[in-house]
Amino acid sequence: MYNIWILTVQHLGLTLAGVGLAILIGVPIGYLITGNRWVAQLVMGFTDMMQTIPALALLALLMLWMGLGDTPLVVALLMYSLLPIVRNSYVGIMGIDGALIEAAKGMGMTRWQLLRMVQLPIALPVIMSGVRVATVTAIGIAAIGVLIGAGGLGAPIWRGMQQMNTAMILSGAVPAALLAVASDAGLSKLEQAITPRGFRNIASQNT
Amino acid sequence: MVIFKAVSKHYNGHIAVKNLNLNVKEGEFVTLIGPSGCGKTTTLKMVNRLVEPTEGDILINGRNIRDTDPVALRRQIGYVIQQIGLFPHMTVEENITVVPTLLEWPATKRRARGHELLDMAGMDPVIYANRYPSELSGGQQQRIGVLRALAADPPLILMDEPFGALDPISREVLQDELKSLQKRLHKTIIFVTHDMDEALKLADRVVVMREGEVIQEATPEELLRKPADDFVASFVGKSRRNDSKLLIVEQVMQPNPVTVLPSVGLAQCLTLMKRKRVDTVLVVDEEGVLIGGVSIETLDREHQRAYRIGEIADHNLVTVLNSTPAKDAFDLMVGDQLKYLPVVDEHRHLRGLVTRTSMVNAMASVVWGDEND
Repeated sequence: MYNIWILTVQHLGLTLAGVGLAILIGVPIGYLITGNRWVAQLVMGFTDMMQTIPALALLALLMLWMGLGDTPLVVALLMYSLLPIVRNSYVGIMGIDGALIEAAKGMGMTRWQLLRMVQLPIALPVIMSGVRVATVTAIGIAAIGVLIGAGGLGAPIWRGMQQMNTAMILSGAVPAALLAVASDAGLSKLEQAITPRGFRNIASQNT
Repeated sequence: MVIFKAVSKHYNGHIAVKNLNLNVKEGEFVTLIGPSGCGKTTTLKMVNRLVEPTEGDILINGRNIRDTDPVALRRQIGYVIQQIGLFPHMTVEENITVVPTLLEWPATKRRARGHELLDMAGMDPVIYANRYPSELSGGQQQRIGVLRALAADPPLILMDEPFGALDPISREVLQDELKSLQKRLHKTIIFVTHDMDEALKLADRVVVMREGEVIQEATPEELLRKPADDFVASFVGKSRRNDSKLLIVEQVMQPNPVTVLPSVGLAQCLTLMKRKRVDTVLVVDEEGVLIGGVSIETLDREHQRAYRIGEIADHNLVTVLNSTPAKDAFDLMVGDQLKYLPVVDEHRHLRGLVTRTSMVNAMASVVWGDEND
């Protein structure tokens, strides 16, 4: 029989790996493309396109290239998570009032200080809501990772379907659903917590 | 202190500033003024290198700013903008001490400086230091904007229409505070505005610009006495007229009120009132001399008894002379609860009508300026 606890932890681990890498790559991309509208369109068009590829097809393609196991699944999750994270980083930073940027520059902030002290803190709630969307999507997609030999809660679901074993299906499906609901709630709490007090009204208007 | 030497700025063929020469002395309050697009803001932004001049040099304390790193330069110059630009995620204290933070002052010194500045502006640090900008009024926000520019005690401060977006009362208060602050702290201030009253009130020297060029450079007194040309004269004049104390009734009244002759019949008068959508008409004779007034209530009450308007007109109307100060007329209307006030000349010829609407319009033009300015 499957140990659901271990599978749940595995499932969460795979999701976090994919989304975590997407944050590491996506936020810098979202920031860098704010410099050029044309490049921004191009990059977001590309990440958009990646989202339209059916998950199963993407997994199959990645499997051909990287073989079986957790690696192609994490890469697939990374690719799916990029769009909401890149887009929200871009939108969050572009949405900052130009007067703040001018004031910051006029007071002698370097580009890095501007990013760290002004742009990131103000855009953070918007970026976080992108991360939340990405995480919930990734938990769903991770469940089909079983088809390319990855771990996670997909295994009891898939096996249960083959054996017409409802209890086995539920033993995977219910924890996966709970995981999605719980991470959505947790991340939305986190989103509120990192929104500074003075900014709360304004942030909720922008998202 | 700040010397502009033959400075020009071109943007793809468009000339924003043309061969500007200006010498701002230490401790001097200089305002740059002109209509929008005259190059005053560009001139200001060239001082802290937010805009780079196309030609010419700017020297601060004898040193060419091209040879100073822009970031280091800006930290030595205070900067206040119209949109205020307080950081919404930082407390008031954090906002004030941004430049000290960039200069890596120790935390205790920063805090002390923040509180000192709040005290100076009459804002109790205990109450305000930990508030967020969104919790302050517009006037308080810009007060913090000014304190932020003063935080690292820069000798030079650039201000780009800092009070332009404030309500008239806050604006007056902040202007007064700024003026006394500047005297006390002996700062050099370059201040951009399009409001001549503000320029005349604050400046030691006013620099009037138009289409990228300096038209006149003078003390407020000289500017008022000897404007260099018609452009300056009209610019100064317009602002002078824009003053409620000087407005006279003639300027605020409605010039063509609805009138009838005393011989007009009641039914005819009623039709006229309906067509013109008024509830009162003034009765004048053939010479245009005011005889009285008739309100719709009178008309309604008397229509059984009378035939001609002349019979029912109220002859005891309160009137004002056309040269009366508008303020006195308004006081009269408010004080006596009048709905309208006919305006006559010395010979009792009807000139116009002051209504509550004209009062509101006149106040609006004083408060917000004329729409077509």
